[in-house]
Amino acid sequence: MGRGEPTKILVVEDQYRIGTFLKQALLERSYAVTWARSCGEASDALCESGHDAIILDLGLPDGDGLKLLQQWRKCGFNEPVLILSARDAVQDRIKGLDIGADDYLSKPFSMEELMARMRSLLRRQSAVKEAVLEHRGIKLDLVGRTVHLAGEPVDLTSREFALLEIFMQNVGRILSRKLICEKCWSSHYDHEANLLDVYMSRLRAKFEAIPGPPVFKTVRGVGYQLL
Amino acid sequence: MKSIGARLALWYAGAATLTMVGLFVAGYYLLENQLIRGLDQLNKAQFAQIRAHLGEDFATLSPRLIDSRIRETSDFSSVLFFITIDDPRGPVRPVFYSTNLRGAPIPDVPGRRVFNAFMTGIGELRVGEFILDPFDVTIATPLNNVREAMRNYSEICIWMLFVMIAISGAIGFGLSRLALRPVRLIRETANHISSDNLSERIPVAAVRDEISELAQLLNQMFDRLESAFDQIRRFTAEASHELKTPISLIRLQAEKLLMHGKLEAGDEESVHMQLEEISRLSQIIEELLFLSRAEARDIELQLAAHTPESLLQSFGQDARVLSEHRGLRYVQTHQGLGTVLVEPRWVRRVLLNLLANALNASPPGGTVTLNSVVDAGVWRVSLADDGPGVAAELRERIFERFFRLTPAADSAENGSGLGLAICRSIIALHGGRIWADTSPGSTGLCVVFTIPAAA
Repeated sequence: MGRGEPTKILVVEDQYRIGTFLKQALLERSYAVTWARSCGEASDALCESGHDAIILDLGLPDGDGLKLLQQWRKCGFNEPVLILSARDAVQDRIKGLDIGADDYLSKPFSMEELMARMRSLLRRQSAVKEAVLEHRGIKLDLVGRTVHLAGEPVDLTSREFALLEIFMQNVGRILSRKLICEKCWSSHYDHEANLLDVYMSRLRAKFEAIPGPPVFKTVRGVGYQLL
Repeated sequence: MKSIGARLALWYAGAATLTMVGLFVAGYYLLENQLIRGLDQLNKAQFAQIRAHLGEDFATLSPRLIDSRIRETSDFSSVLFFITIDDPRGPVRPVFYSTNLRGAPIPDVPGRRVFNAFMTGIGELRVGEFILDPFDVTIATPLNNVREAMRNYSEICIWMLFVMIAISGAIGFGLSRLALRPVRLIRETANHISSDNLSERIPVAAVRDEISELAQLLNQMFDRLESAFDQIRRFTAEASHELKTPISLIRLQAEKLLMHGKLEAGDEESVHMQLEEISRLSQIIEELLFLSRAEARDIELQLAAHTPESLLQSFGQDARVLSEHRGLRYVQTHQGLGTVLVEPRWVRRVLLNLLANALNASPPGGTVTLNSVVDAGVWRVSLADDGPGVAAELRERIFERFFRLTPAADSAENGSGLGLAICRSIIALHGGRIWADTSPGSTGLCVVFTIPAAA
C-alpha cells in the first residue's frame, strides 16, 4: 500500500452481477482488483500475491466462506477481511467476527458504506491513536473525556461523547448509519426509533456556534459526515 | 390417553362384575330350588314314617285310634312338621290335626301336590300332599330356614360383588396401563420431538402389532415433517440470498446514478426516494426472515444473567432522549432484586420497539411510563402510554404480522408492521409472554411482557 502502488483488493463473490459491479466500482476508485468466484480460486489468488484487503462472500459454490476464512487464519494469512453476505442473522455476524473477520456487511449494501468500511479496514493496520483530536475548533480529549469548543467546555452525555469521537476519528468521511449504530450502541438495529437522528440533532445543536458550513452533514440514504 | 385407560379399566370391571352378578343370580335360583327340593324329600320321609306308625290296617282305623298312633310321633317332630289327615268322604273331618297347627287347617292349592303356603302365626310353609286312600295326608314344613339361608347367600354375594368391583377395577387399571404403555411411550417421544430435534424417532418394538404399526406410521410422518422443516429452513436461507442479490444490484445502480451527479434536481429526488424504499424493502425481508427463523427455532440466543437494572439503565438513557425529542415525558421505575437470563441486544430491541409505538401513540405533552418489577421468579415489564389505546378485541391482533391500526396507505409512519410480531418472537425465545392491556388509570395502551427470572 502506498508507495505509488495501488491498493490490492481480493473480491470473493460467486454472483456474477454483483461481482462485476464490485470490480467496476473498485476500479473506478483506483483500487487493483482480483475477482475470485469460488473458494479454490480465492485461495489460489491469495497464495499467488499479497492483497491489502479481502471482501468475502459466504455462500460460495464450492464451500462456505466462513470455513475458508478459518482455514486462512490458521495458515497465517492475516489480511483484513470484510464479510459481505446475504446472511444477516446476528449469530452469523458474530460467528464471522469470531472466526477472524474484521468487519461484516450484509446485503443489500450501499457502495458508499462498503467503501467507508474498506477504508477503515485499510487504515486500521497503520492507525496511530491520538489522545486529543481537534477539528474546526472542537477539541476532544480521549483520556480526560472532555470536549471544548473554542476553548469553552461543552457538556456532553456519554452517548454524545462516543458519537462525537467516531466522527472526530473519521473527519471528512461519510459514515453509514449502520456503522455508527454498531460502534455507538453495539447494535445492528436502528430502524424503529431513529435514535441516531435524535442524537445527531442534539449534537448539532451543541456545535451550532461553529462558523462556516454546517459541521455535521446528512448524506441521504447513507449516513452522516463531519466536515 | 388417560381417559382410554380409565375407560378400559371401567369396561373390564363392568364386564367382570356383570358376569359375577349373573353367576350369583343363577346360583341363587339353583340353591333355592335345591333347598326346597330337600324340604320336599323331608316331607316325603315324614309321610313314610306316619304311614309306618299307622300300620297296615290304617283304612279301618277310627280317628281316635289314628290320633293315638301318630300323635306322639307328630308331637315329637312338631318343630319340623305340620300334619293333617283328612278323609274327604268320611264323617269326621279332619281326621287328624297335629298339635302345632292349633286347630287351623293347612291351606290347600287345588290341583297341586307340592306348593308354598302361608299361615298366620306360623309363617311360610312348604306343603306336600300324599294320598293314603282313603285319607289325604298333608305334611308341611317351615320355609323360614330356606329363606334365612337365601338371605345369607345374598348378603355374602353382595359383599363379594363389592370386593369384585374393587379387585377387577384394580386389575383393569393395571391391564390398561400395561396395554397402553407403548402408546404412552409414543406420546412421550412425540411430545418432545420439536423443531430442535426433529431427527428423533419413536422406538419401534420388534413385535409386529397394532402399536408398532402406529409407531411406524408416526415415524413416517415425522420423516415428512423433518423434510418439510428442512425445506423451509433451506428456503429461508435461499430466499434471503436470492432476494438480496437483486435488491443489492438495484441499490448499487441507483447509487451510481447519484454518484455521477448528472441528474436534474427532480430526478435526484426520485432516486433518493427509490433508495429509501429499497432500505424499507430490505428491512421487511430481514424481519420476515427473522420471524420465520424464530418460528423454526433456528435462532440461538447467547443467554447470560443480567440484572434488569443494568438492562434498563442504558435503555432509559436513550428512551429519555427520544421522548424529550418528541416533547413527551418518560418515567421509568424498577422494583425487586434478581437476575434474568437474556441476550441484552434482543431485550433492547423489544424495548425500543415498544417505546417507538408508545411515542407514536402519545398525544403532545403525554407521558410514557415503563414499570419493571422482579417478583415471584418473574421479570415483568410494562410500557404504558396515554394515547387513544386499542379496542379490547384488537389487542391480540396487534401482534399479528402486518397488522395496522390505521390502513397502511393513510399512515405516515414507516414501520414495517412487523414490530410487535418480532417482539412476541423475541420474548417467546426467552421463554416469556407478551400481551397488550389498557394503561392503568388511563385509556392508553399498555404492553406487558414477562421473562422468567434466573433461579
